[in-house]
Amino acid sequence: MLALELFRSVPRYLAARAVGERLPGLLAGPLAPVRLVNRDEPLPPGEGWARVRPRLSGICGSDLATVAGRASFYFSPLVSMPFVPGHEVVGELHDDLDDLPAGTRVVLEPVLSCLARGLDPCPSCTAGRRDRCDRVTVGHVAPGLQTGYCADTGGGWGEVLVAHRSQLHPVPDHLPDERAVLVEPLACALHAVLRARPEPGATVLVVGAGTVGALCLLALREFTQAGRVLVVAKHGRQRELARRLGATDVVGTAEAVAALRRATGALRLTPERGLPFLLGGVDVALDCVGSRSSLDLALRTTRAGGRVVLAGMPESGVDLSPVWFRELEVVGAYAAATELTDGGPVREFDLALELAREAPLDGFVGAVYPLARWREALDHAFSAGRLGTLKVAFDPRRG
Amino acid sequence: MARPGFVLEVDERTPPLLVHEGEGFRLEKFPLGTRVVYPPDPLPPLRDVEGAIRRALLDPIDSEPLPALLRPGMRLTIAFDDISLPLPPMRRPDVRQRVIEQVLEMAARRGVDDVQLVVANSLHRRMTPAEIKRTVGERVFRSFWPEALRNFDAEDPKGLAYLGRTDKGEDVEIDRRAAESDLLVYVNINLVAMDGGVKSVPVGLGSYRSIRHHHTVHTMLHSRSYMDPENSALHHSCARMHRLVAQHVRIFQVETTLNNETFPTAFGFLNRREWEWSLADQAAYLAAKRANDAAPPRVRREVFRRIEAPYGVTGVHAGETEAVHRRTLANVHRQQLVEVDGQSDVLVVGLPYICPYNVNSIMNPVLVNCLGLGYFFNLYRGRPLVRRGGAMIVFHPTPWEFHQVHHPSYIDFFEEVLAETTDPAQVEAKFEQQYATDEWYRHLYRTSYAYHGVHPFYMWYWTAHAMEYLGDVIYVGADRRAVARMGFRTASTFADALEMATDTVGRSPSITYLHCPPLVMAEVR
Amino acid sequence: MASLLEDLRLVARGWRWTHRPLVPRSAERFLPAPDPKEFPTAWARTPLARAVREGVQRFVLRPLVWTETEPRVEGLDHLEGLRPPVMFVANHASHLDAPLVLCSLPRRWRERTATAAAADYFFDVLWRAAATALVFNAFPIERKGARRGTGTARRLIEERWNLLVFPEGTRSRDGWLQRFRLGPARLAVEYRLPVVPVAIRGAYAAMPRGRGWPRPGRLPVSVRYGPPLHPEEGEDARGLNARLLRALERLWDEDATSWWASLRREAEGKTPSLAGPPAARWRRVWEASRPLPRPRPRPVWEAGESTTRGGGEER
Repeated sequence: MLALELFRSVPRYLAARAVGERLPGLLAGPLAPVRLVNRDEPLPPGEGWARVRPRLSGICGSDLATVAGRASFYFSPLVSMPFVPGHEVVGELHDDLDDLPAGTRVVLEPVLSCLARGLDPCPSCTAGRRDRCDRVTVGHVAPGLQTGYCADTGGGWGEVLVAHRSQLHPVPDHLPDERAVLVEPLACALHAVLRARPEPGATVLVVGAGTVGALCLLALREFTQAGRVLVVAKHGRQRELARRLGATDVVGTAEAVAALRRATGALRLTPERGLPFLLGGVDVALDCVGSRSSLDLALRTTRAGGRVVLAGMPESGVDLSPVWFRELEVVGAYAAATELTDGGPVREFDLALELAREAPLDGFVGAVYPLARWREALDHAFSAGRLGTLKVAFDPRRG
Repeated sequence: MARPGFVLEVDERTPPLLVHEGEGFRLEKFPLGTRVVYPPDPLPPLRDVEGAIRRALLDPIDSEPLPALLRPGMRLTIAFDDISLPLPPMRRPDVRQRVIEQVLEMAARRGVDDVQLVVANSLHRRMTPAEIKRTVGERVFRSFWPEALRNFDAEDPKGLAYLGRTDKGEDVEIDRRAAESDLLVYVNINLVAMDGGVKSVPVGLGSYRSIRHHHTVHTMLHSRSYMDPENSALHHSCARMHRLVAQHVRIFQVETTLNNETFPTAFGFLNRREWEWSLADQAAYLAAKRANDAAPPRVRREVFRRIEAPYGVTGVHAGETEAVHRRTLANVHRQQLVEVDGQSDVLVVGLPYICPYNVNSIMNPVLVNCLGLGYFFNLYRGRPLVRRGGAMIVFHPTPWEFHQVHHPSYIDFFEEVLAETTDPAQVEAKFEQQYATDEWYRHLYRTSYAYHGVHPFYMWYWTAHAMEYLGDVIYVGADRRAVARMGFRTASTFADALEMATDTVGRSPSITYLHCPPLVMAEVR
Repeated sequence: MASLLEDLRLVARGWRWTHRPLVPRSAERFLPAPDPKEFPTAWARTPLARAVREGVQRFVLRPLVWTETEPRVEGLDHLEGLRPPVMFVANHASHLDAPLVLCSLPRRWRERTATAAAADYFFDVLWRAAATALVFNAFPIERKGARRGTGTARRLIEERWNLLVFPEGTRSRDGWLQRFRLGPARLAVEYRLPVVPVAIRGAYAAMPRGRGWPRPGRLPVSVRYGPPLHPEEGEDARGLNARLLRALERLWDEDATSWWASLRREAEGKTPSLAGPPAARWRRVWEASRPLPRPRPRPVWEAGESTTRGGGEER
């Protein structure tokens, strides 16, 4: 089968780190540690597994960070090289699997937890928190926190992957592929918002209005009673979209601190070096970008005792002084899970599947490429914001 | 399989788009959401043009084969389209030459002695011998020039024949030799949908007395558009005249259509969709743009004048005029028609360096305006691309410049008539007669290479529909004085033009850019 | 000058010079059928490139392969009486395969032979494409999608080039033969090309997929050319393909045992299949990666009598 494979390449990693910032075009060019290969189709490693043929699979920010060499080395033992990336997948079941007949359209919940690995559930899994599974490196598939980081399962950027029944959610017929492929990121956004737990009427800051930011905004409006929602967005189309999705104020990156100060009536201080910060500020901030500057902004504009949620995979090297001084609560939000809410436990994927039906998600998938044009696709995804695109996806069926 | 034309919606991924502006071009960034109408890719040309011509002549539509119409002792006249077609002039051999040669070949074999060739130049300027030679080819030229190969003269009292009136009372007067021939073969090039058909003989070989009936403000206001013969009062009038002529002389119409291969390789980027420009195209653009901007106007004009289009022939049909023309139109539409969904507030056009009336000449302001508000505005079927009361933005430098030999009456028209009024109806009522019968213009038309005295009026009438329909016309990068004389405004940049247009169309207008040439015609739903 | 810079900036930005050019969203439907342009390789067949290639193959590639492994080349006499163009068809389990075949061919054959290489891998990036084209006289073929044209291959055949083709389309994962694709047989039938089967044994053991360099220890490999097959009157691609597969299996058997034994076994219909044992993956790999038995050391007095060692001398 044809697949894009991410492989280990020290020279490319070093080069990408060195010049990737200045010559971003090279990141999708000769510096990408990615190649198009003919791999063997992955085989179901055990009971409850089946092959899935992806119909659409998104390019996620974390994938791009990995390609660009910006992902933390923390993750290196959690993946197995070479792997086929792609964990935002809507596909078609190739084999019969328990209650699902072959041909069923499914979305993938990518976490490879105890259940999928054929292990007795760890305490987290028992509690339904598969995102917190402790056994993501053992069991009968290679290490990999998710499908799309594991050498044995294949991933969305290939023609075939294998998935465990526990990872699959059938897609209702009326949900088109372009929406179904957004179910995974939507579930993650939901997870981030439920982790953020804004009080009714709270002022919430969303940094970034890419896919994650937009979906978080959507989830905030749908599932919480947050009061003001301020969105920091860099590009024109993103601002427009944020307004449409119910943001109270939308501000650009440059005037973010000033606008937030005005909105919250805080005091603004300017240190000798670095960004100005606020005394006072928003109640809850969601960092939906995962860059150093975005997290910095979130930390510096959250009120004392407030909460900062990491909704995107964070970059290292952020100044943690505000966390200490303002006694901030920093909350991670990785993947999707079963979250305990006031109304009892809910599976975020189910919620997301439901929400995807009605939410204004048209046009989110802004470009679909065949695998063979992967360089174009990655390049497009790297500058998606500027190009007015939210989600770039592969259609592996088109080769 | 040639790709169809389509409507692009400008987004962040769209590169700047090419805009023609007279003897130059530029790249312009259009606002997000602008719709751009692209012509279909060039249709694959006929591989065997000679064979296609032969088949058309031997197996014509609703007519006997041409050889059957030829006999010794007959009078045969061959008329053909003049220098105004095609644009730019096509690379030799001109398809007219290829058709005429085969017609003559058959005539020679059938023993026809009395043959005359006439340029159907109507009220246009006469063609120079060199131009005629280029059009008909050296062989034909050497055999017939100057005795039996000539320009038509619409002001030669002896050379005209009055054929009567149509049922609507329109006088019909055409070239005497043509009218008194046993067979009139008309050879045309159908570049746009308004050309050819019933318009060929009554207009191409018609006198002022005849043409004045349909080249009027009234017909123009009732031609929606004049590029759509079915809905054109102009063409309806021509059809009546044609039928009258056909009662007097047997007409054998040969029509040819060309594809969209408009620019030679050196200017290949002008034929291509911008996002498909290779690095070589981009470099060619930069080099051409730079050289063109730096060149003195004379050199620039010379370079553009030398462009010969590598047109391919897409169809040859012959026989009874109206039946032939239906096929021809289908071919033209196949190459040029693009479906557009609904009208917009603003129409943007970039005018090229050439129009039908300035081949080997200068495009004066009246011609610029005619090309923009006449030809380009009317390149629609159904409804105009722009809504009633909308704005039109035209890219062209519009220099205050006239060709002294070709366009003498234009100079006076511009200085005298337009200074007084720009309203087509008033212009027509007050000045037309005077200019049409002016002895000096008549003399220049007959003996020099001047357009007829009345021609600038027709150019002005051509724009009547657009002027009556549009709320605002703004020229970009044009000579302020010249444009003001015509009653319009000038902006120095596209952004300014859009700013000025807000008066008529508001803050966030919908915009359509007609990406032309290569020629495209919009079918507006 | 300022306007030039402005134009330059406009073009550079508009066409994303530092990135990849993109297509406006509404124009995507109207993109021409995906880029029929393939990497141009005609330059690699110019006299200069041929001279360079001969040098590289002779003084770099061959010494390298012949010192890192121990090739044994047989059956070149079958080329006697053939004239280009012919098609060499070999099994494919290692990156060593193409160098082994090319460098074992006599010079006059080698310099008229072009290699079919996967466009999606070998012609993906410029440097790899250029290097592959130069060193192996490779030309790109699409192994997937609508573009699977054979235009270049046809042109090459018409220009009387021999083709080296691996009909499996990709290197084997376990060392055993995969399904043959029909394309090569189709070409051979169409152009009535003689097809020379080449059995390569031991290459998988010496340098399996995933290795960047042959395994240490100078493992023996064997390259055996078989008698050419001529497409017969009325034979279709499927038929030729099946015949080719049988010939390759017989050739493999010949290499493993002896010519006579292989003929006998073929007559009895007992030629072992190259699909490998129907067993667990590990056993297949295990079997395939077993190094060939080293040729028995020859007593000095026999030296020079046969060409079995390090064969493939120029003819």
